[in-house]
Amino acid sequence: MANPTKDKIKYSILKVIDVSGFKVLDPPVRLLFKEEPQKQIRDISRYMLLPIVFVFACLAAWTVLGPNHKTKSGEVPTPTRVWDAWKDSYRFHEKESEKEQAFMTTGEDRGAEVEKIEALIQKQEGEYAALEADSQSIAAQAKEKMESEIAPIKAEYDELKALSFSQKKERKSAEEALAQKVANKTAEPQQLVTLIKENGIKSESEKEELKLIKTKIDLIRSNPPKEVKAAQLAANKLADEIQHSKKRIDYLTSGNREVKGDTLLAKAADASTQLNTTTDGGEAYKQAKSLVSNTEKAEKTKGQQYPRSASIVWQTYRSLITVIIGFSLACLVAIPLGIMCGLNRIVMACLTPIISIFRPVSPVVWLLIFQIIIGAFFPDPEKHPLFLFLNDQANPLSYFQTNPAMIFSACTVAVCALWPALVNTALGVSSIDPDHLNVAKVLRLGFWSRLFKIIIPSSLPLVFAGLRISLGVGWMVLIAAEALSSSDGLGKFVWDEYQNGSSQSFANIIVACFVVGIIGFFLDRVMIVLQRLVSFDESASL
Amino acid sequence: MISKRYVEISNLVKSYPNPFGDDFRVVENLNINMFQGEFISLIGHSGCGKSTVLTMLAGLNEISEGGIIVDNKEIDGAGPDRAVVFQAPCLMPWFNAYENVMLGVENVYPHATKQERHEIVEYSLARVGLADSMKKFPKELSGGMQQRVGIARAIALKPKVLLLDEPFGRLDSLTRMELQDVILDIVAQEKLTSMIVTHDVDEAVFMSDRVIMMTNGPLARIGEVMSLHWERPRNRAEILTDPLFFEYREHLLSFLEQRAHLKSHLHDVEDNRQFTNENLLKFSF
Repeated sequence: MANPTKDKIKYSILKVIDVSGFKVLDPPVRLLFKEEPQKQIRDISRYMLLPIVFVFACLAAWTVLGPNHKTKSGEVPTPTRVWDAWKDSYRFHEKESEKEQAFMTTGEDRGAEVEKIEALIQKQEGEYAALEADSQSIAAQAKEKMESEIAPIKAEYDELKALSFSQKKERKSAEEALAQKVANKTAEPQQLVTLIKENGIKSESEKEELKLIKTKIDLIRSNPPKEVKAAQLAANKLADEIQHSKKRIDYLTSGNREVKGDTLLAKAADASTQLNTTTDGGEAYKQAKSLVSNTEKAEKTKGQQYPRSASIVWQTYRSLITVIIGFSLACLVAIPLGIMCGLNRIVMACLTPIISIFRPVSPVVWLLIFQIIIGAFFPDPEKHPLFLFLNDQANPLSYFQTNPAMIFSACTVAVCALWPALVNTALGVSSIDPDHLNVAKVLRLGFWSRLFKIIIPSSLPLVFAGLRISLGVGWMVLIAAEALSSSDGLGKFVWDEYQNGSSQSFANIIVACFVVGIIGFFLDRVMIVLQRLVSFDESASL
Repeated sequence: MISKRYVEISNLVKSYPNPFGDDFRVVENLNINMFQGEFISLIGHSGCGKSTVLTMLAGLNEISEGGIIVDNKEIDGAGPDRAVVFQAPCLMPWFNAYENVMLGVENVYPHATKQERHEIVEYSLARVGLADSMKKFPKELSGGMQQRVGIARAIALKPKVLLLDEPFGRLDSLTRMELQDVILDIVAQEKLTSMIVTHDVDEAVFMSDRVIMMTNGPLARIGEVMSLHWERPRNRAEILTDPLFFEYREHLLSFLEQRAHLKSHLHDVEDNRQFTNENLLKFSF
C-alpha cells in the first residue's frame, strides 16, 4: 500500500503548494494520490467548486445587468465584450511586434518573408471576398425582411396621412363657411372660435398618430439584426488584417531600415562619383555636402528602432518596471532607516514626527511635488545624458522609453510605499526576543555580527510582511500616478481610453481593471512566497 | 593548586528603584565563596531572588551593591568566561545546531584557524551526544536535544564558570536525568566551577557539592548551607539508595516547607505595599 517514492513526490508537491500559498490545490493533489478520496472530494466541492460556481454566478449577473444600464459611453459591456476587447488589444500588440520584426529584418530573409506574407494576403483576400459577399447577402436578406416588416406599417401610414389630409381640407372649408356666416351676421363669432379650437386639437392628434407610426418605422430601420452587424464586423476585421499584412510587406521592402539605409548609401555613392568627375566648383560643393549628409543619414537609419505604438502589453511592462524601481527605492531607504529606528530610540524619536506627518499625505500631492522637483533636474530631457544613455538603441532598457514622467511616478510610488516597510522593520528590530540578546551579550558579539547574525534574521519575517504591504500600496499608487502624470503605463492606458471615448473604450477600461488586479495578485503572491521562505517561524502564513 | 576563592560573591545587593518609596531590595548582603571545580545549587521558593543572583554573576543583570570576583578579577558585564545555559534553549532558529555553536566559537577564538574552530564545535556537539544532528535546525530537534545544543554552545566557549539557570525546568524527567549526567560528566572532566538554580530537590542533592538554601525575598539571603560529601564521579543508582540521600532530601524539604509557612505568616503582618511588590515579582518569575 505505502509507496515511499510516491509519497515523497506527493509531499514535495504539497510542500510547494503550501509555500506558494495555493492551499486550494491541496485536496486535488491528495485525491490524485488516492488519499482519503471521500474527504478530498468533499473539500474540493466545498472550497473549489462552490467558489467557481459563485464566480460564474457573478459573471452571469454582470451579463444580465450590464446592458440595462445606458451610459454616455454606451451600455455597460458584458463579459464577452470585455473578453473581445482584450483579444483585440492583444492582437494590436502582436501586430506591433510583427511590424517591428519586419522593420528589423535584414538580407536574404526579407525576400522569403515577403513571399510568405504575399501568400497569406492572397488567402486572406479570398476569405475576405467570401466574407464580404456573405455579409452583403446577409445584409440584403435582412433588408428584405425589414422592408417586408415595414411595408404594412408604411401602408397604414400612407393611408392615415391621406385621410388626415382630406379631413384637414374639409375642416378648413367648414371653417371658411362659418366665417362667411359670421360676416353675414347669421352666426355667432363665438361659434367660429370654438370650431377653430376643436379643429386645431383634432389635427394635432392626427399629427401625433402619424409621428408614432413614423418612429416605429425608424426603430426597425435603425436596428438591423445582430447577424448583419456581426458579419460586417468580421469582414472589417479581416480587412484590417489584410491592411496589416500589406503594411508588413511595406516594412520589409521600402519601409525597411536596411533598405532605407541602402538607398541613402547609394545616393552617397552617386554623389561621390559625381564629385570625382565634376569640373564645376559649385557642383563639387553640392555633391560633397550631399555625400556627407547622406552617409550620416544612412548610418542613423540603419540603427533606427521601430517606433512602436503603445499596446496594453507594453504599458503593462512599463508599469511593472516603474513599480519595481519605486519599490526598490523604497526598500533602499526604508530598511536601513527602519533598522536604525529599531536599534536606537533617539533615531526613532527623531523620525517619528516625520513619519507621522508625511505618512497620511495623498499620493497625488507627492506626485505634483516630485513632478516639480524632478522636472528641475531635467530641463531638457531629450538631451539629458541619463535619458540618452537609457534610451540608446544599444541599451536593452530603451524598450521602456524612460522619461522624467516615469521617474517621478517611481518616486511617488517610493514615497508612498516607504512607510509600511519602515514601520514594520523598526517594529521587527525592536521586538527582538530579549533571550537572543542575552545570548549575544554572553558571547560578547560585536555590533556587526549582532546585527547580521541575530537582529536582522530575527526581524526578517516582519520586514517582509511590511514589504508585502508596501508593494501592494505601491502598485495601487502607481496606477493613479500614471493616470495623472501621463507616464506610459496601465494608468495612462485607462486615462487615454476614458478620454478617447470610442465604442470600445468602456470595455478596454474594464480589461485594464482586470490586468491591474491580476498583476497585483501575482505581486502579492511573490511577496508571500519570499516571506515564507525567509521566515523560520513555521506558523507564519498569509 | 586549587583556589579556595575562585568565585567570590561579597555583600551582593540587588535593588530596584521604587518611585513611591524606598528602593525595593530583592537580594540583601549575599556572600558566597566557591572553590575551583565546585558545584553549587541555589534552591528556594519562586521569587526568592536565586535567578537574580545567577544573572548578576553572569553579568546580565546589574549589580546594585557589593561585587563579584571570578579568578581574581572583578566582573564587568557579561562575557564568555561565564557561560550560561538558559531555561529556554535560546537557540537562533535561523541557524542549525552547528552554526549555533559556531556563533560563539567564532567570537571567542578570533585567532584560531577555521579547522580548529570546526574541531571545537564538533567536539562540543559530540560531547552532548549530537554528533549525528549537527546540521539540524532547532525546529527539527526535540526540547531535550535543543537544550543539549544550548549546553554545547556553553562548553564550547571553554568557560571558567558554568551557570545553569533552571536548565531542565521544561523537560520531562527522563530527559532531565540524561542531561544531568551529561552535565556532571562534562563538569568533572573540564573541572568547571558551576552554579545551578533549581526547584528540584533531588536534582540539587544529586548534582551539587553544596546546596545553598535561600530565604524568601524580598531581602533574600542565605538561609542555610548544606554540604554533600559524595565522591565524584557519582553513580545515580548508588546515590539513590544511599540512606544519606533521603536524609539530605528530607532536610531540604523541611527547610522549604518551613519557609512556605513563614511566607504565609509574613503576609498577615507586613504592610501592604511590600506585598503587592512581592506578588508582582512572584508572578513575573
